[in-house]
Amino acid sequence: MPKPIRYLIYAAAIALLAYNSVYFKKLDEVKAGTTAFDAAGYAKDFWEKKLTPGLSKAVDLNVLTSLLEADKEKAFNAHSHALGIGNIRYFLVRGQGVVTHVDENEVSVQLTDAGAKTATPHVRIATEYIFGNAVRDASGAIDINAFTNSMDFNNVSAEINRIIRDTVVPPFKSKVRKGDRVVFTGAIELNRGHLQTNDIEVIPVNLQIEKP
Amino acid sequence: MKTSLFYRIALFCIVFGLGFIGCKTKESEGRPKKIAIVISTLNNPWFVFLAQKAEEKAKQLGYESKVFDSQNNTAQETDHFDNAIASGYDAILFNPTDADGSIVNVKNAVSAGIPVFCMDREVNANGVATSQILSDSYSGCVAIGKYFVEILNKKGKYVEILGMVGDNNTWNRSKGFHSVVDFYPGLKMVAQQSADFDRNKAMEVMESLLQAHPDIDGVFCGNDAMAMGAYQALVASGKADRVKVFGFDGAEDVVKSIQDGNILATGMQFPEVMAQTAATFADEYFKGKRDFPRKMPVAVELVKKDNVENYAAYGEKE
Repeated sequence: MPKPIRYLIYAAAIALLAYNSVYFKKLDEVKAGTTAFDAAGYAKDFWEKKLTPGLSKAVDLNVLTSLLEADKEKAFNAHSHALGIGNIRYFLVRGQGVVTHVDENEVSVQLTDAGAKTATPHVRIATEYIFGNAVRDASGAIDINAFTNSMDFNNVSAEINRIIRDTVVPPFKSKVRKGDRVVFTGAIELNRGHLQTNDIEVIPVNLQIEKP
Repeated sequence: MKTSLFYRIALFCIVFGLGFIGCKTKESEGRPKKIAIVISTLNNPWFVFLAQKAEEKAKQLGYESKVFDSQNNTAQETDHFDNAIASGYDAILFNPTDADGSIVNVKNAVSAGIPVFCMDREVNANGVATSQILSDSYSGCVAIGKYFVEILNKKGKYVEILGMVGDNNTWNRSKGFHSVVDFYPGLKMVAQQSADFDRNKAMEVMESLLQAHPDIDGVFCGNDAMAMGAYQALVASGKADRVKVFGFDGAEDVVKSIQDGNILATGMQFPEVMAQTAATFADEYFKGKRDFPRKMPVAVELVKKDNVENYAAYGEKE
């Protein structure tokens, strides 16, 4: 075989080996966890099949705040959930009240008690900062052992929050006005060690406006 | 006759040998279980605290324990694991040096029948460790990110100082922060640089970043040591009042700095909870439990000016 052809074959073989030995991948992709896990699909499935059918189990916020004052441990044990351990726990809640203030980040609501019609605490319904694990964890319907990668269940939270940001908040935010009566279901975060019930923020799952 | 004598000697040896084995087994059963606590480095007070709390809990549960310092060196860590396996330790509470480099040590111990419970840092292999008890860094930094956006009112320039780029916690913290902040186009990250979780390096990084970007409004640091370093550089340049600094860990000096109104916020981790949970899991393992969660996140709490009175270094105020 002529030398130039032989060298050409050697060069081609080396190039082929080199090409198949090295590959480049973005660090972000490597760190993003398992690419096989479809967080958006999981979140959609969770929203439709577990969260929405389970909303009827949400505890009334007036009942919960009273119970927290009377027996904090009992309230946390009976109604809160979290995937991990620690003071931060989540509750699936429902409530109704009158809008007292609307701003770009939230809607303040004075809760009313359907039975006694007595004034109850203010809560803030978040319309801008929809972040965190409240909705993912509050229902208690997700098992941490179903996930092998911690970034996967972080991404599930992000996707659930995206659903809220895209579908729950816009129709409410565009119409809600001071004085409106609202009915809501959502998730709240409370700190078991340092409980504060005078500044509750609700991440909404379902929002309805009843015009006065 | 010769054969008979041979058999008698052999029989004697077997019986005598079995007796020895029996004695040894009884001795093993009688002694308290031993727990090895292998820590990435004892040069950092945060890890010293983690080791002390694990040791305290192991003792409280009735076990002997010994702390091994890997000095951030995987080779030394391997020696500790070999030593722990050869010395008959019954469980290892482990704070890994390297998410990838430490996998083999965990595998070796588990193959030898020794359960391994990771604390604070994870290894990048699913189902290898018996359980991994880790700070929920991502969620903690989601809370910090939200507060960052509120404080900067959704606009401004900022820099991010990362920890060690090979450490999972670095990226979990960064991703949690960006999962919020990146929603706001008015917030522009002008630089992102590593300072290896080191206070002095962070000070140098901040000094050089301030040369290039003198008009920044905020700094997010992947741990409190770096937040203190960045703050020092800002004080030296006369910009400490204008630039908002955010950290992560819950270190003593940052808790004090938040009280004084200097550093804006940190994410409080709970090393005591992690250490106690790991030791309790080891206890449950000895008693027969096997179905442990592969990963157990421990909640991180946002500490800021209006709630700092509830916290002390590395946890809650007692």
